[in-house]
Amino acid sequence: MKPFKFEQATTAVQASQTHVDAAPNARFIAGGTDILGEIKEGILEVNILVSLAGLSGASEIISSDVGLEIGALVTLARIASDQSIVETYPALAQAAESVATPQIRNVGTLGGNLCQRPRCWYYRSPLFDCLKKGGVTCFASDEGNKYHAILGAENCHIVHPSDVAVALLALDATVVVSNASSDRQMPIGDFFVSPNVNMLAENVLEPGEFVSKVKIPKPSSGTRSVYLKAKERQAYDFALSSVAVSLEMRDETITQAHVALGGVAPVPYSVPQVDSELTGQKIREVDVQAIGQLAVKDAQPLSDNSYKVRLTASMVARAVSRLISE
Amino acid sequence: MTTFKTIGKSEPRRDLPEKLTGEAKYTADVQLPGMLFGKILRSPHPHARILSINVDAAGSLPGVRAVVTPFDAPKGQVAPDMPILDTEARYVGDEVAAVAADDEDLAEAALSLIEVKYEQLPFVTDAVEAIKPDAPQTRPGGNLVGGKPLTLIRGSVEEGFAQADRIFEETYSTPAQAGAALEPRAAVASWDGDNLTVWKSTRGVHADQLALSLALDVPRGNIRVMGQNMGAGYGTKDETRLGAITAVLAQRAGRPVKIELTRQEEFVAGRHRHGTTTTVRMGVKNDGTVTAVHATTIMDTGAYLSSGPGVIRRAGQGALYLYRCANVQYDGYLTYTNTPSGGSYRALGAPQGHFALESLADTISEALGIDPLEFRLKNHVGLEGQPGERVTPANEVLDTQPVEGGVPFSSNGLRECLQRGSEAIDWGQPSERPESGNLRRGKGMGMFIYRGGAGGRSIARMRLESDGSLRLLTGLMDVGEGSLTVMPQIAAEELGVGYGQVLVTFGDSETTPEAPLTAGSTATFSTGTATKEAARQLKARIIEVVAPLLDTEPSNLQITDDGVEHIQYPERSVSFAQIAESAGEIEVEAAISPGSRDHVINSFGAHFAEVEVDTDTGQVRVLRYIAAHDSGRILNPKLAINQVEGGVSQMLGFTLSEQMLTDPRNGVTLNASFLEHKSPTLQDFPKMQVLFADVVDPVGPFGAKALGEPPSIGVAPAVANAIYNAIGVRIRDLPLTPDRVLNEIEAQRGDSQ
Amino acid sequence: MAQLPISYSASITLNVNGTDHQIEVDHRWTLLRVLRDVLGLTGAKRGCDRGECGACTVLVDGDPVCSCSMLALQVGGRQVRTVEGLGDANSLNVLQEAFLAEDGGQCGFCTPGFIMSATALLESNTDPTEDEIKAALVGNICRCNAYGRIIESVKAAAKSEAS
Repeated sequence: MKPFKFEQATTAVQASQTHVDAAPNARFIAGGTDILGEIKEGILEVNILVSLAGLSGASEIISSDVGLEIGALVTLARIASDQSIVETYPALAQAAESVATPQIRNVGTLGGNLCQRPRCWYYRSPLFDCLKKGGVTCFASDEGNKYHAILGAENCHIVHPSDVAVALLALDATVVVSNASSDRQMPIGDFFVSPNVNMLAENVLEPGEFVSKVKIPKPSSGTRSVYLKAKERQAYDFALSSVAVSLEMRDETITQAHVALGGVAPVPYSVPQVDSELTGQKIREVDVQAIGQLAVKDAQPLSDNSYKVRLTASMVARAVSRLISE
Repeated sequence: MTTFKTIGKSEPRRDLPEKLTGEAKYTADVQLPGMLFGKILRSPHPHARILSINVDAAGSLPGVRAVVTPFDAPKGQVAPDMPILDTEARYVGDEVAAVAADDEDLAEAALSLIEVKYEQLPFVTDAVEAIKPDAPQTRPGGNLVGGKPLTLIRGSVEEGFAQADRIFEETYSTPAQAGAALEPRAAVASWDGDNLTVWKSTRGVHADQLALSLALDVPRGNIRVMGQNMGAGYGTKDETRLGAITAVLAQRAGRPVKIELTRQEEFVAGRHRHGTTTTVRMGVKNDGTVTAVHATTIMDTGAYLSSGPGVIRRAGQGALYLYRCANVQYDGYLTYTNTPSGGSYRALGAPQGHFALESLADTISEALGIDPLEFRLKNHVGLEGQPGERVTPANEVLDTQPVEGGVPFSSNGLRECLQRGSEAIDWGQPSERPESGNLRRGKGMGMFIYRGGAGGRSIARMRLESDGSLRLLTGLMDVGEGSLTVMPQIAAEELGVGYGQVLVTFGDSETTPEAPLTAGSTATFSTGTATKEAARQLKARIIEVVAPLLDTEPSNLQITDDGVEHIQYPERSVSFAQIAESAGEIEVEAAISPGSRDHVINSFGAHFAEVEVDTDTGQVRVLRYIAAHDSGRILNPKLAINQVEGGVSQMLGFTLSEQMLTDPRNGVTLNASFLEHKSPTLQDFPKMQVLFADVVDPVGPFGAKALGEPPSIGVAPAVANAIYNAIGVRIRDLPLTPDRVLNEIEAQRGDSQ
Repeated sequence: MAQLPISYSASITLNVNGTDHQIEVDHRWTLLRVLRDVLGLTGAKRGCDRGECGACTVLVDGDPVCSCSMLALQVGGRQVRTVEGLGDANSLNVLQEAFLAEDGGQCGFCTPGFIMSATALLESNTDPTEDEIKAALVGNICRCNAYGRIIESVKAAAKSEAS
């Protein structure tokens, strides 16, 4: 690796200021599992890594009647096994559990997982000067795109790699972003941006800003959620396609629905047409296959990834089916 | 029924304790005083002439101690088509220059300062394209190695097809598959005057010694290759430029140099299983009798030849020899492309060839209305071998990979494998219906034949040492398959002592005798036979020496765990230590050129898989797997089971998830990582049963035959055939990834509408 | 003369297998590099340097991590355990004995990593099911695919510990 300075910040102010002062060549580091890989790969040059591990409150999980607050430095392993999360926010626990391997989950954090860069093989290789790195070509447009996007992509066809983000989207989470002076928060759907909005980044963070925590509203008592992930091998794989579904059900009727898709779009992807279709339906009358088809109705597959359309439809059908029959 | 002291026992793996504690040293663990770290600069272009290289900045960086470029490298050849460094780069990743520096980060920094001027040349990345006459030329003389295919014939396929009632032909493809051994290859080189010592991952210290001697133009006697524990290779750690480059840097720097490849380099600049496209044509009678087999394989050797000729040959053996047939032909086209080079990955071309052959056998069975098992029981080659006339003169050793007929096998347990394997998986019964509507189950099989036996000339030395220890010395390298454990079992059994009493020294070109590569599943046969002979000789010598000491005839003496004793009067005895004290060290050497003049020594097997296909996600799960093998007498059951299970699991990757992907636009390998080249994990490991046929080979040491590679061969056809049985979709291109399965299901649905 | 880019070093105290080590490290150095090249503990292996194979697995505060994917500077003040802290070839521990008896390895390159992951598993779960064993060890790749024997080894170790 090229040399960099590693600095352990003790306060948000210090972290933020250091980052701003060294911009654009500074990065925040939490667990470091993604960022060290990028540096080693030669696609990221950084002068200073500002560690957030020492920030107070960053590793706390606070559960209350209002909901859940998870510090950005909480590890994926903890999220996967925390009783309150497993019981009340199962989609999140399942998404966290599905990430990589135990070794990665013991170190990787919530914040790091949300902010990780794409896994697109053109992006990850220094031998391709692609759009996301400031070049002029998307190498996935015409060929070599079996893992790429089928929804919401125009010029750049990455898929967002975070499992946790998809679950949080379905759970209506809020992301809290901090800098030296203040916090701001936004629905998680607004945290992520597609390449059309910002080609060079996947989220709204400005220099000096970092994710400090994520808040999830407490679901009502009739709510269930699930996260399903389709992979190419049984384990340790990014999603070919993944689905998070949260359904509130009362008196045999779906009263609220939120479906989110992963592995198929440059951002964790909401499908409001599905949410509206499901809301108000009697559980017994839900045609899960039709719901699945509806989820992918706007799909624009590339030369090698049309299988994702059918796969995603099936996954949505399966997830909804699982929840309504629980 | 013979009872053995140690043969047939699951003696614990001799080198496992130190591997369990982390004490086992691999090449990257070697530390020498003053050692430098080397790094290699690699071509970013698939085909280019190197016009100039400017190393001024790199060489002047503080801490950089040596640089080598193709313009100043010694002019030797690492292989016939591979100079130590060359002014032409032939694939993305090809070695261009190298540096040695005080540490790795410095070496990396130095690489980034090297300026290379390239002239890009036309390139080709696809083998089928490469053999067309208008393809860009990777080499003067054309892409097709040898200018023509390897053609092997027995009888006449024209005649064979004329006899057929029906003829079937299909084309199948298999991808390049990385060996991806967990240890990236590494080398350490150190000079002492004119003497070079090299520590490296290798499966043949003598072969490496010879290769380095030729490349560097240094007398063989001046080179010592010390084989370290190897983090596996499965055959893929054939010689590359690494050893020579490391040696040159060390010579220039005047200090030891270590180069460890990165994982990405191991993927790209290592060796992998050759990608193939195979067309098989078979003629059959309506009753299922095979009348003709003609297979044609196009195989991609990548930028360098490596062991390509051996692999293209191996790819044809199934077609030539597995089904009893008088009229067969194989045409193998080996072609260069501007992609990473293939090598000798476990079972070489046999898995590729058998995938095609055994898939077609199922297609034929179905068309004729015959059970696939019956088809094979009817047609498999038997003990008597293939019909035809023997061609090899009677007094010459037979090739274990013959084309000729009229030569019997030394043993052939294939039928037993077919019968017992099919019973174990309840072949006659269809799979249980799964509960979910989208899941489908099915069963499939594949059988195979594989050469073993004769490897290169092999020497084993045995010694009674001055302290009374018994030691076996062999140049053989244990590549993780267990020969370090099995060889002393053979020696101990022959000598008549306990397994633990035979010490072993292996893999040092200076102190251990000539051994061939641990390759082609030949270790057991060649070195095993040499070992048995050396033990027999040592036993005879010891008894000869003791006879006068105990004042009796040699025929009255026997060897025990402690020494030698009189058979009738066991109190008249002498210990090994006492023997050594009085007679001195005793050493014998047995050199054998293995092989048989009368029989072909081959291993056989049949694999059976039951799979479950999720027709919504395209995922395939192997529910259970039966691997039935004829490898003669099994010398160490636990090791053998581990070998078979490991080979099967490894090739589930080949079948379901692994492929090296090259971008045709620029020759870049897209997935040179463990994340993207998807090897099986613990979660992918299926329930498996291993069966060994009850065969004792008359030629092999204690009746053993090759086992290392055969498990790799039956997996792809068994699983592909099972998938067909489950969903009625025939997929002819590996790997059978979810996207392929889904696309084929979709296509079939489209066809049937 | 070409210039070296500026690099940064720090003095840290690393606790490995119960012993404190005062060392100078470059900020870039991973825990794996420090273990192998500075402390001479070569049991942890560099299989990929990307956290994708588990050959470098060590325990940090009892949890398996890929030491190639952590900076040494991230580990100060925490307890690191490597395979060298468990036993040596003359006195294998219960887990290692089980691997030996069940033939839980072939080339051995993945073995130290598996031993560490299995150690963590058995310290938190004395009677794991086969599914739990698979889930806990899935981050360790064995390219020899000795997975069957590895699973049997861990089962045998759990049984041995119990009796």
